[in-house]
Amino acid sequence: MTDARARAEERTQLFRDLLKGKTPKRVPYSTAPAMEYVIQYAGYDLEKTLWTLKDLDKIYDKFCAEFLSDTNPVGTYRLPTFYQILGSKAFVMGSGGFMQHPEVVGLLPEEYDEFIASPYDCILNTILPRLYTALDAEPSQKALVLAKAYRAYLDDFGVIAAVRNKMHEKYGYAMLAAGFTIAPFDFIADFPRSFSGISIDIRRRPEKVLEACEAVTPLLVKKGKLPPSVEYGYIMIPLHMAPYMREKDFEKFYWPTFKKLVEELSANGHNCYLFIEQDWMRYLDYLNDLPENTIMRFEFGDPKLVKEKVGKKHIVSGLYPITLLQTGTKEQCVDKAKELMDILAPGGKYWFNYDKSVLTIDKEGRIADNLKAVTEYVYENGKY
Amino acid sequence: MNLEALTKAVGELDEEQVLAALKEFVAAGPTEEEAQQVVAACQAGMAIVGDLFEQGEYFVGDLIFAGELLTNAIEILKPVLGGTSSAKIGKIVLGTVAGDLHDIGKNIFKSMAEAAGFEVIDLGIDTPAAAFVEKVREIKPEIVGMSGVLTLALEAMKDTVDALKAAGLRDSVKVIIGGNPVTKEACEQIGADAFTTNAAEGVKICQRWVS
Repeated sequence: MTDARARAEERTQLFRDLLKGKTPKRVPYSTAPAMEYVIQYAGYDLEKTLWTLKDLDKIYDKFCAEFLSDTNPVGTYRLPTFYQILGSKAFVMGSGGFMQHPEVVGLLPEEYDEFIASPYDCILNTILPRLYTALDAEPSQKALVLAKAYRAYLDDFGVIAAVRNKMHEKYGYAMLAAGFTIAPFDFIADFPRSFSGISIDIRRRPEKVLEACEAVTPLLVKKGKLPPSVEYGYIMIPLHMAPYMREKDFEKFYWPTFKKLVEELSANGHNCYLFIEQDWMRYLDYLNDLPENTIMRFEFGDPKLVKEKVGKKHIVSGLYPITLLQTGTKEQCVDKAKELMDILAPGGKYWFNYDKSVLTIDKEGRIADNLKAVTEYVYENGKY
Repeated sequence: MNLEALTKAVGELDEEQVLAALKEFVAAGPTEEEAQQVVAACQAGMAIVGDLFEQGEYFVGDLIFAGELLTNAIEILKPVLGGTSSAKIGKIVLGTVAGDLHDIGKNIFKSMAEAAGFEVIDLGIDTPAAAFVEKVREIKPEIVGMSGVLTLALEAMKDTVDALKAAGLRDSVKVIIGGNPVTKEACEQIGADAFTTNAAEGVKICQRWVS
């Protein structure tokens, strides 16, 4: 067995244990940078590289050689080519080259009934042509656009998969299957109705919002399911709207269908991986109610409270503020890692990760230096 | 018209009650002065919304709804408000900074600042530093507000402040920054006068500056 293979096996075992609720040999660790940072770190032009993906293997090789991680750092969700072909309004590139999701409305308030009657048909016929304007065309033209965009998607993610595999062969990362889905209320907010739209709808047409969440849930379960043959894997669910709602609205509109989604996916034998955006400290008791060993990566919050309220039943992650990497000294950064490890690691069920991904590079190189110091600390002190 | 009840209904975000009361008021053919009093009562209701937000009773979604409610209220009152608009307490040039396309927070701040009596000139999203400079030179506001969600917005905010300095305009305005990534340290580094992650608090800071 090569070194890389042995490392991959050791790292995969950490996650097999973690996902099944056993204490692993040491605290599993994921690094912070997103692809945008890695490209800039290697000295390449961000905007151009996101379009062409040229030299992506060299770009990641520099990063992987310098920064340890148990999970494969190669990957991204959003690339410009296929969104451009689709005439996307839902995901667009800002002037600095970063892909973003502006406020968009794919469904008008008076169209709720159409959505509720058949979410799939409504997404296909009404919502997609509004959010992806090149699909607002005659059927033959629409088919061509979709074929072109899908080809670009396969090409781009083919490059990324190849680079991911190459880094895996050389550096040996944990092998985990991953799925992706979204909470029903967040789905209705993010694509059909917008953040502002849904905030108004829950007061003006509450019954329609509830029915729409119910109607779309089976589609989102289907979207998230991993094949039964996958033994170890997780389903990523980034959570969005709850912190911006009152608890009584959350309890009524957000929670029931979200809980159903997580329960159905967990019953299928896989862990859900919640990326818990913003501050959910108000909702920890709800979260604790989810099926055992749900992975909960927090962006904000009090680590002690998190450990106490959900850390016994669930796998806790996140909470390390990436802004500290940019503004703090090495000592402050390592102290923060120590503080989090001391609170969250005891008893297992902990995956060291950052509150979010690092996107931009700093001129002074402080982020990279601090990241290395934190990584080193976690690897040296994370043994159980 | 029971102004106190109106203020309370706006504070409670009771849209049905507010709109019904306003329609009845307009139908009775009020004077412009009476209409201005009603606008003031609605604005006082928005201040209650801001307070409840700061107290953790309301959240961002409720602020968005409050903005929508106020817009509708003013729309109903327009026919009786006549041509005279109420006196403005100051001007704010506002925008989401270069590279960032997020505007929900900016829009909430805008509707609350307008409700508090400011004239807000909104430059939109992904606003280059030069556009801020040009607009400040043109309309001479008391305040510049910069918003952003991505961490890269902090760089762009600094660039914008530097551009205001280079144009000799920095000392003529107060600068406030807002959004998810802003902190005290970032505020100092950027050279802004104030920062907030809370739109209601941001409006209060601006009110202090012009009082």
